[in-house]
Amino acid sequence: MLRFIIRRLLITVPTILVVLTITWALVRLAPGNFYSNEKAVPAAIEKNIREKYGLDKPWYQQYWKTMRGIVRLDFGTSLKYEGESVNAIIARSLPVSATVGILAYLLALVVGIFAGSIAALHPNSKRDYASMTLAMLGISIPNFVLGPILVFVFALTLYWLPPSRWNGFFSRNLILPVLTLSGLYMAYIARLTRAGMLEVLRSDYIRTARAKGLSEWQVVTRHALRGGLLPVVSYTGPALAFLVTGTVVVERIFVLPGLGNYFIQASLNRDEPLIIGIVAFIAITLLLANLVVDIAYAYLDPRIRY
Amino acid sequence: MTLLDSYVRQVLAALLIAGSALGGIACRVVATPGVFYGSTTPPQRNILRYVNGDEPESLDPPVSSGQPEARIYMALFQGLVDYDPKSLNPIPALAERWDVNNDSSEFVFHLRHGARWSNGDPITAQDFVYSIRRALAPQFASKNAYLAYAITYAEAFNEKAVFAVDPATGQFVSEQDVASPAQPAGIALSQKPLGPAGSEYDAGAVGPHGDPDVKPQAGAETAFHQFMHSPPRLTLPSDEAKRNKLIASDPALKTALQGKQFVEVEDKDIGVEAVDDYTVRFSLSEPAPYFSGLVAHQLFRLTPRKIIEQFGDQWTAPEHIVTCGPFKLKAWLPYNELVVERDPVYWDAANVHLDEIHFFVSTDAPTSMNLYKVGEADVVLNHTVPNAWLDTIRSKKDYMDGAEAAIVYITMNVTKPPLNDVRVRRAFNMAIDKINYAKSRRITKPLSAFTPAGIFVGYPQPKGEDFNPEQARKLLGEAGFPVAAKSGGGFECKSFPVGQVEFTFNSNSSNKAMAEFMQAQWKQNLGVTVPLRSMEFKTFMNARAKLDYKGFAIGIWGADYMDPFTFLGLFTTTGGVNGTGWYDVKYVALLEEANRTLDHNQRYELLAKAEKYLLDAQPLIPVETTAVNFLKKPYVKGMYPNAASLYAWKFVSIERDSSKWDYGVPSLAE
Repeated sequence: MLRFIIRRLLITVPTILVVLTITWALVRLAPGNFYSNEKAVPAAIEKNIREKYGLDKPWYQQYWKTMRGIVRLDFGTSLKYEGESVNAIIARSLPVSATVGILAYLLALVVGIFAGSIAALHPNSKRDYASMTLAMLGISIPNFVLGPILVFVFALTLYWLPPSRWNGFFSRNLILPVLTLSGLYMAYIARLTRAGMLEVLRSDYIRTARAKGLSEWQVVTRHALRGGLLPVVSYTGPALAFLVTGTVVVERIFVLPGLGNYFIQASLNRDEPLIIGIVAFIAITLLLANLVVDIAYAYLDPRIRY
Repeated sequence: MTLLDSYVRQVLAALLIAGSALGGIACRVVATPGVFYGSTTPPQRNILRYVNGDEPESLDPPVSSGQPEARIYMALFQGLVDYDPKSLNPIPALAERWDVNNDSSEFVFHLRHGARWSNGDPITAQDFVYSIRRALAPQFASKNAYLAYAITYAEAFNEKAVFAVDPATGQFVSEQDVASPAQPAGIALSQKPLGPAGSEYDAGAVGPHGDPDVKPQAGAETAFHQFMHSPPRLTLPSDEAKRNKLIASDPALKTALQGKQFVEVEDKDIGVEAVDDYTVRFSLSEPAPYFSGLVAHQLFRLTPRKIIEQFGDQWTAPEHIVTCGPFKLKAWLPYNELVVERDPVYWDAANVHLDEIHFFVSTDAPTSMNLYKVGEADVVLNHTVPNAWLDTIRSKKDYMDGAEAAIVYITMNVTKPPLNDVRVRRAFNMAIDKINYAKSRRITKPLSAFTPAGIFVGYPQPKGEDFNPEQARKLLGEAGFPVAAKSGGGFECKSFPVGQVEFTFNSNSSNKAMAEFMQAQWKQNLGVTVPLRSMEFKTFMNARAKLDYKGFAIGIWGADYMDPFTFLGLFTTTGGVNGTGWYDVKYVALLEEANRTLDHNQRYELLAKAEKYLLDAQPLIPVETTAVNFLKKPYVKGMYPNAASLYAWKFVSIERDSSKWDYGVPSLAE
């Protein structure tokens, strides 16, 4: 097990460096600069700016400088937001994204597993059809449609909830973004749970458990769910990594100061250190999340050994 | 099974409780439906919540060129003058009044006594000298620096240029030493030897309101003033290769520079001087009548020397920052909001009405509109009302609109055929029905000149050529591309090299609609189908600045200061903002002549003459004067839809008495 973890961690490092090199090159290849805006700067001023940020040096020197920083986990300072370090921006925006993401995923887990289990326990019943229809809707309605609908109903028509903006952790401003974000995941988890449960409920050890005389509740919660949730677990890793590192669309619709919003803005601003910092962070999170999933697998399914 | 059913019931109950909790949150009152857009409950405290657009890039005034930042700087920092809330003309701020010499090349600002920084330190003329030198330093690399290039040697300092000096005598080489007789150096009064004391200020304009009883004061004589009035020194590029090339190409220059040494232009050489603690004198290298209005710009706002020297680029951090405006920084939550609060040490604190202003970040127009509708925001920024919503919103009494000091036009790359022929350019201009286009845009005005229509009062704006498809076809034919009528109606122009032109624009929906309109017009009236090309914003800006496009490109320009020159000056340089490749020394000379003219009306006439010259050369197609449009709750008073969407915040207040509210657009008349 330990060897497996170490091996996985070792592959992670070159993967991330390749990702970052590609990112770096893409930012360089994109036309325009962080300082270009609707009023073009005169040549002399452009020269001043390029000298100030070291953009007049040869590309390999700039590449080396960037990579050296990354190895030390220092991503430098933002080009757009004067004097702001990329690390500080990530540290500030991550909790925002993580709060929304984790709350949304928890909600999705609770509702999704519940709906999926109901459907699996009563296959082809009205309850099954109802929950699966809802799940289908949840998967097909993109969050940039769901978000505005929720805003229209709960904020603009009923005046119950604020339509957007961040107002600290656990404020009522969070309700709409969390609902919007969880929709897709809820639906997906419901379907995964249903499929997983259906398969497990037909297996021999469930029959054994029933034959032992266990109550239906015990059969479902102790035996069926544990096996039936495996697909959900493998889905949780990457899903959570994406949710925690910011969801571009939802953060944009609800103007949340999270990583996703910064990521989009950094790309539009050609803010190279910030783009690379956020990409590095997302890549690391994603790879780690996958590792955690693999470990969780071994725990949940006694047949898997590394 | 029964167990699960009870589980279902429990969860349903929990959901019900959660639902009713949500319901219990509802507490907002929606008043007067129909008259205004959304809620109109004034806030309990004197707090203004303003949706300000993008996240500010920096709180350091000379750094940013953006409008969201400019509005924040107007709350936190002061300059010599400020923008009038209605007309945007300069009104006294840290300067009580100012005097101008006889050809608008020297400005003397008299500071008010008793103005203080937010930490209590007094504000003096030296603070201005420091701030302007800092803003222009090449290492500081401000994007706005070009705005101050009229100041003597400011451009040279910002470009790291050098003077040439004779090591034996210490004499500097002057421009006159190398000027060929063919190009007589037109020297501004500020650079000519000084006459008898004060004689340069005889006819000089007196600010702010031209009080005839107050005699202009040139300020005391100083060695620096003498230096400014000595013959203008020659400046050369600091880059040795570039300089040598320049010298080699000009024999007169070569002789004059024999055995000379080069010294860098320093910050102490630029034409800004603290004559005494309360007098700031600017020497300009060219007449610039608009200068007193220009110094309201953020580039010229005060920055605190002591704090900057202590904290470096961290000086704007909330724990360090020291400001000098009517408000000071209370909190900055990046990408969320920036809160400023009333500064009790501000010199005019008694007349500041608001306790706090919350600047919200939101770049998404519908999101901003939603915040406004539910009453989470009191005012949204300019251009936030989506075009498709206009029908619903326009009739509301809180909808603000007005003329904007900004234009939309089409640049043409005159360096490449077929648009290097003025007849072709004129034909494409005359083939567009701008009146109909403006109608389709609903809030803008058709434009036939290069300055915005109806912004500069008294400016005799010239008119470009009107929509005339017949004449357009004739011109195109004269240029060698005959247009023939097609049998089934319409026209065709087979010989026109369509492959050599494109209409390039940065992708957004309104630009796309515009490009399609123009394409249809040209096809309909000239029989030419110009391909469209959409680009991401920064890619586009880069391509246009480098003339890396063929045919046509969209152009948008907003005023940096309230004077026609902020538009006409675009074509006094060849690169960057020009975007067309068109440059004409005669045009530049016409503008210089106008700026040297002190009489306001006469100057306007000369500027108009230059503009006419530009329109005749037609490197661009004027399209429309854009419009300011936004929403403001009726209880917000003292805020006007002025032409630049910049607000002097100290005049803004919250009115709880609904009989005094604004029903409709408040008048911009003085």
